[in-house]
Amino acid sequence: MSSINNIYVLIKQVPDQSAKAGINPDGTIDRAKAKRMLNPFDRYALQAALHTKQKYGGKVTAISMGPPPAVEILMEAIEHGADMGYLLSDRRLAASDTLATAYALHKVIQHLGQPDLIFCGLQTTDGDTAQVGPQIAERLALPQTSYCEDFRVEDGKVVARRVIEGGYQWVRMEMPALITVANSYHPLAYKSIRGARQVQMLLRNEEAKNNVIKTVTLDEVGADPLKCGLKGSPTIVAKTDKVAEIGGSCVVRQGEPIEVMVRDVLQNTNLREFVSV
Amino acid sequence: MTTPEEPKKADAPAAQPTPPQAAEAPAIDFDALAKREITTPSNKEVIVIAEQFQGQVQPVTFELLGAGRDLADKLGGKLSAILLGHNLREQADKLIQYGAEIVYVADHPELENYRTLPYRRVITDLLKTFEVPPHILLLGSTTTGRDLAPRIAAHFETGLTADCTELDIGPYEHSNKADPDKLGIYPGCLYAIRPSFGESLKARILGPWNNPQMATTRPGVMIPLEPDASRQGDIREVPVNLLPEDFRVQVMEIVRELQAGVNLADADVIVSGGFGLGGPEGFEMLKELAACFENGVVGASRKCVDAGWIPYQHQIGQTGKTVRPKIYIAIGISGAIQHRVGMNKSSLIIAINKDADAPIFQVAHHGIVGDLSHVVPEMIRQLKASGAKINGEEAKKSLV
Repeated sequence: MSSINNIYVLIKQVPDQSAKAGINPDGTIDRAKAKRMLNPFDRYALQAALHTKQKYGGKVTAISMGPPPAVEILMEAIEHGADMGYLLSDRRLAASDTLATAYALHKVIQHLGQPDLIFCGLQTTDGDTAQVGPQIAERLALPQTSYCEDFRVEDGKVVARRVIEGGYQWVRMEMPALITVANSYHPLAYKSIRGARQVQMLLRNEEAKNNVIKTVTLDEVGADPLKCGLKGSPTIVAKTDKVAEIGGSCVVRQGEPIEVMVRDVLQNTNLREFVSV
Repeated sequence: MTTPEEPKKADAPAAQPTPPQAAEAPAIDFDALAKREITTPSNKEVIVIAEQFQGQVQPVTFELLGAGRDLADKLGGKLSAILLGHNLREQADKLIQYGAEIVYVADHPELENYRTLPYRRVITDLLKTFEVPPHILLLGSTTTGRDLAPRIAAHFETGLTADCTELDIGPYEHSNKADPDKLGIYPGCLYAIRPSFGESLKARILGPWNNPQMATTRPGVMIPLEPDASRQGDIREVPVNLLPEDFRVQVMEIVRELQAGVNLADADVIVSGGFGLGGPEGFEMLKELAACFENGVVGASRKCVDAGWIPYQHQIGQTGKTVRPKIYIAIGISGAIQHRVGMNKSSLIIAINKDADAPIFQVAHHGIVGDLSHVVPEMIRQLKASGAKINGEEAKKSLV
């Protein structure tokens, strides 16, 4: 008998900041035009969820919140071996901050039923806050281990290695629990052949797809729209500024022979004082 | 202070402005609403949640007290600290020396090491005893602060801004008509300023509707006050009432590593590589360059770590380490703000990049625009030659 039945992994679709498309001249991102990708941090969370399934059994459900194209990352999760995907998509979620996002996602989790383990990426590349995971744990009154870089399930508990400044700690945690996965965890493995076949089948069969990937609204999960979106968000981005250029006095060498440019840098800095060869 | 789950007392101060009755009154005077001054209930106190490790208050706490002192002075309120742990009397005095006027001390054997649930319990219980909530609650952006702050924020349904690099106090005029019940002018808001995604932007984030307004700040950014033993403060004991569910996580072992080989914090020279290296093999060249120096270490941007080219221990930037070496050589690093906040305090920055417009040149002191696969080997060659010359001259001297 496996000790794990249900595993949820929360994932987000983010703009690909390395692609030039959708990056406005002022540095802001036009989300409609930007290339979309699975949040890089969530790749570790997905791997952790899949490892749990491989070692201890259970079903992996990937959950996301966002506009309809976010179905793409749920498909991606299925290609890697997740069993189901749920997308919470509702116009009233627009402009949600972390508190409102955590509220909405915890309603999805309550709607689907309490799992044994919930995995989240440490943070997202478009928000960088690391807040949503612990905020969901608070809403669900669950224990949490953030910055988890290794774990195993032992005697019905999670034994997890957590990153701390200059080291780590091992903790033993009761389930159900929420884990945010550090990017020192194992990188996401290649897509499985089985998963790739499954996705190809789903792309041909709309009905099968709708059984595996479901899109739900706030009403369907019983969420209070006043606690979501702009109205449910206690913070607001009041202003963005171009970052004041810190240096601005860079001596740049360009177009000269490399040997000359390198010598010039060595002659005008104290770099050679540190040499030991 | 009440939690959102608890019913609001009828006599509680009106935290929320009254919503306009749109249905009956078709003509809302938005302009009048936008001009009203709204003050949310607060005792103007600025509270820092102290961080201790093995009984020692961590530097980020003193930095937070430095930033908090400025905020409290601007608000005309008190600066306090909450300290949790065991046998901490001396540490409480230290917090006063660094500017705290009140130190709330929760002393209990179960609080000796940080754990999310017991700390959350004590802090939320304490804040619930406040008749009027504090104005601002600050934590460090550490593995502790980033674990604890969101739980407290979610508990009180208040706003939290992560990883701030600047904090300030000022008014805010909310003029978004999509949200008319919030229209108005809010004095004394916490300006939580942080680098924002999308390169080279910083965002000012506010949450004036609920108190405490919360933020975490990055270690090494805020400036502590000079400690002063003559500062006076009030030490208050905080009751500790832990419940069985607070013990769902047990700490088995704590290890602080002497990170062999990757001691970015103490390196004189950091040779750091970015995505421009083109692959993991690029780091071999960087290791060779780092090896030219007495105390040289290889660093990396997040993209390289995400791509699996080099382990996480080497990562510098917002999600990695913050470093201040004597020399930082950025190679093939475009210099996104997330990277720059981790290295822009270095004494000397040298950038090598093929793109003359790369933002790294905005923080660098010296730059070479060129193909790194040629520039780096040339730099290694010249450094080795100069090293040999210096060593040679020394060798000659010693012979004389």
